[in-house]
This record gives sequence, C-alpha cells and structure tokens, in this order.
Amino acid sequence: MKHDVKAFWMFILIIATLWIGGCEAPNFIKAAQFEEMDRIVLTFAGPVDPAWAEDPGHFTVNEKPDPDILLDIASVRLSPDQSRLTLTLADPINQNQPHQVVAKEIVSEGRDLGTQSVTVSKPYFGYLVSILIGALLIQNFVFSKYLGLCVFFGTSQKKSTAVGMGITFTFVIVFASLMSWFLYQFVLKPYRLDYLQIIVFIGLVSLTVQAVDTVLRKINPALFKAFGVYLVLVIANCIVIAVPLILADNEYNMIESLMLALGAGLGFLLALFLMSSVRERLDFANVPTSYRGLPIAFIVAGLFALSFMGFSGMSIF
Amino acid sequence: MDPLYVKLALGGIALLASIGLFFGIGLALAAHKFAVEINPKVEAVKEVLAGAQ
Repeated sequence: MKHDVKAFWMFILIIATLWIGGCEAPNFIKAAQFEEMDRIVLTFAGPVDPAWAEDPGHFTVNEKPDPDILLDIASVRLSPDQSRLTLTLADPINQNQPHQVVAKEIVSEGRDLGTQSVTVSKPYFGYLVSILIGALLIQNFVFSKYLGLCVFFGTSQKKSTAVGMGITFTFVIVFASLMSWFLYQFVLKPYRLDYLQIIVFIGLVSLTVQAVDTVLRKINPALFKAFGVYLVLVIANCIVIAVPLILADNEYNMIESLMLALGAGLGFLLALFLMSSVRERLDFANVPTSYRGLPIAFIVAGLFALSFMGFSGMSIF
Repeated sequence: MDPLYVKLALGGIALLASIGLFFGIGLALAAHKFAVEINPKVEAVKEVLAGAQ
C-alpha cells in the first residue's frame, strides 16, 4: 500500500516536470500554422489594427536554421474579425523545416505591443512522432550512423543478453539525455560554457550508470544480476554521448529531447534484437572458416544497413 | 589576456567543481542509503582460496 502511494507521487512528479518542460512564454500571437502550400496563418489573442496588418513590411519570414535568408511575402490578408492573419508567400514553403515569423511593432486597439516572433512547425504531436520514428528507423543510430558498433557486436551473440542490454541502454539514455538537456539549456548555454559540453555530458552519463547500479543492486538484485556487466558497458557506447550533442545542436525542448532519446534507445534495442536473432541462426550455418565469428557479423550488419536504407526519405505526417 | 577568457575559464572550473561536488555527495548518500550488507565471511573465504579458477 505504501508502495502504491509512492509510485503515485512519482507519477505526479513526472507529469508535472513534463508539463513545465513543455511550457513557453506568453505571446500575443497565440498560434501559427501552415496552410496549403504557401500560406502561414497567425492567430492573435485579440483584434489587431487593420492599417498595421495591411503592410507586408511589418512581417518577416525565414527558415529557422537560416535567419539571414528572408522569404518573399506576396500578400497579407486580415480576416473580418481582425484576429486571424494570412501571410501568402511568393514560393511554396518547405513545411518539414520549422519557420520563424517576426511581427514588428504589433498594434492592437491603439496599444503598441512591440515586436514578437513565433515559430511555425507542422502539427506538434505529429512532429514528436516523427522525431521518435526518425531516430528509431529512418536514422537508426546503428544502421545509418554507424555509432555504438563495439557494444552492438559485443552483446548481440545471444537473444537474452541482447534484449537485456537494449533495455538497460534505453533506460540509461533517457535519464542521461534529460539531465544533459536540463544542464545545457539552463547552465551551459546562459553562461556561455558550452565549450565544456562534451566533458559534462560524459560525466552525466557515467553518473547515471553509477546511480542505476547502486540503486538497482539494492532494490532488485535479480534484475541487477541479469544486467550483469552490460550496465557498465553502456558508458562505452557512443550513442549515449551522440544524443545529448544532437539535442544541444538542434535546440530541442524537453519533450522533443525525450522523444529523441527514447527513439535512439528503442532503435538500439531493435538493432540488437534483429542482429542477435540472425547470429543465433548463423551458429548452425555452414560459414567458410575465415568468415566465422565477427567477419560474417559485419557482413550481416551491412545487409541490415542496406535494408534500413529503404526507410530513408520516408516522411510521416 | 582578454578578461572574457579568464571569466569563461573560471566559470568552467566553478561549474565542473560544483557538478562534481553536488553529484559526488548525492552518489555517496545514495550508496549509504542503498548499501547492501555483504557477509564478511565470503571475502575471508575468497582470500584463503587459491583463486586460479
């Protein structure tokens, strides 16, 4: 009973953290979304001044990675209730890329609200799923980025160890990347210490592994025994350092970071499971002597990588 | 030397020191709280054995 209460509070705590992590600063521009091929619709919290809205010079649109390249705006149209504004661009928009819209010196009912900017991206839930599936299949860390190969070949001989390693890894990478996301966004970046990111991220990974080791040894000795040496091996995996670096580069928010870490972990689990299934059968195959063991495993991994190339270019939502 | 670099270097040292201190104490407390009692006899017996597998 006491256990249940504890678990309940943990659950509440996790939900609260996620909720806070997803929050953004209040903005007069309530929502922005793509419409058709070449339009961006802005929704304001109140009516804006028609005279202000008519002038295309008050708006700039750019793709988020290239703030220097401004896109041409063909026309601006305000809806009759004065709270929805449609920007039509001269060229079709690449909707896979988040766009930044800046509205200069917004005037609403005679009041000056200053300059505000908003980021437009595809529907958010779909975007999250696309990050997850992207890290899981399309850009699988093992098969298309060739990361974490040492652990991948070392632990994929038997299905049971492969699955154990995959689950431990997923667990550790989610914790470690959330911690490094927090530290990067709130400490490293504001104080311009991002030149230390690699050393800090490595420290956080080994810290997570040590903490999981200590806690698991007491709480669930059976599981600890099952994980065995793999828990420590996670530190030697390069995916676990690649993910925080990617998070820092792409300026993901907390939920996006969670999705990428989960995708990377589950992708590694999937790769390990597939590989161990094949290698268990390879033991019975008639492989030429010089190819036995690792060489044939590398060839199999190459074939897997080829088949995973079939996912490339796939786009969801 | 540019004072900015000095500031960045000192900031880095302070950051790493505080991370180390914070998590070091955290891990030490966790290790204390989740300590597993190990029977001292196991160690003693292992010591006496030949240990060549």
